[in-house]
Amino acid sequence: MILPAADELLAPVMAIDGFRLACLIDGSTGMVLATREFRENHDGPAPTTAAAGAADVINALTLLNGRLATGENLEDVMVTFSDSFFMVRPVGLDQQPQILLLVIADRQRTNLAMAHRSIRDFCASFTA
Amino acid sequence: MSQVTKRTRVQRLADSVLPGRVLPGRTVGGYANLIEARLRKLAATGSTGMLPMSGHGDGGIFFRDGRVVYAQSSRTPTPARRTVGLAALGLVTTEAGPPSNGAELVAAPSFDRLVDMLALTEPTIDAITELLSSESRYAKFRPCDYPPSGQMSPLPIETVLTEVERRRQVLRQLAPVVTADSPIVRFAPRDPPSFQVSASQWALLVRTGDGSTPRTLALALGRSVFGTTIEVYRLLALGMLVVPGHAQAITSGAPAQRPAEVMSFMRALSDAGGPNA
Repeated sequence: MILPAADELLAPVMAIDGFRLACLIDGSTGMVLATREFRENHDGPAPTTAAAGAADVINALTLLNGRLATGENLEDVMVTFSDSFFMVRPVGLDQQPQILLLVIADRQRTNLAMAHRSIRDFCASFTA
Repeated sequence: MSQVTKRTRVQRLADSVLPGRVLPGRTVGGYANLIEARLRKLAATGSTGMLPMSGHGDGGIFFRDGRVVYAQSSRTPTPARRTVGLAALGLVTTEAGPPSNGAELVAAPSFDRLVDMLALTEPTIDAITELLSSESRYAKFRPCDYPPSGQMSPLPIETVLTEVERRRQVLRQLAPVVTADSPIVRFAPRDPPSFQVSASQWALLVRTGDGSTPRTLALALGRSVFGTTIEVYRLLALGMLVVPGHAQAITSGAPAQRPAEVMSFMRALSDAGGPNA
């Protein structure tokens, strides 16, 4: 990863039940800054692919928000796959550069509401 | 009997006299690979010093113990101290200078620490992306040249080259619509539709004038040229900026005539050789 020293910043989100993978991504360039994986994530998604997909999703939704022009901000994105949850949240709504947090968790072992709250709290504490 | 061809011998002789000189007819892509091979060799030998580059902008790549710690190019901004508020948007000026060293980052809050690390790393990756273009040449390695203060955490050369290749693929996707040196202008229709832009995009819009390009905007705002080119592409997709000559195609042309409006980081990754490339 580009900022290996930043990997430790992701330690709090590893406490989410069913945690598989977390990445910090520079949303403006798509560059993966830091990543943490669950130790048994051998067959899980590749961090670079997951991060690129997350950056693409945010890019598309940002364009949509720009065209809708409702004055709202994108807070987070939750995607449900058959076995996992993909959760993407900009770290700080008005921060520059736009840094994205991606968390992938096991659907069978994750309480989505609790995971959502953990991610929200993490991002809030991160920028405090 | 020697198996080395005459052409190779001539190239070696030219390199020994004028390092980086390319023989007529030699493919530039092949030379880009030679630069990468040179960088890998410097990394493998644990070198410390600077590899000067010229051709597509002057600059250099600094190594410490075989790892990349800094790079600068005359065509990309240099690292600057992070600014906040209006200064971050380029709307007011502050006394900005390069960070003195990395010690001050340790005690900073986590987000600030991350952004400060990125403020050192992004300009270096941006510069290397520029320096590793097909028109660049390298000169003799200078073991005694040390990087200026404010260098980033040392990075393995393979990590850097992988990121540079990913960026090349993204730029290839954007090239039919906009490059870092494409002139851009604000699009001003008679009945403008409503759009919503971020503060960062607004800063680009208000600075766009005659002769603006993504590179001039990036240099004026002290931002990454690569990131600014992508941001300009997004504004083109929204129809708020146009590349002269492409105006009709983007905003009102038939779908088949429009340039591709979908940039994909995932596609760049697969085009660069897969997720583990």
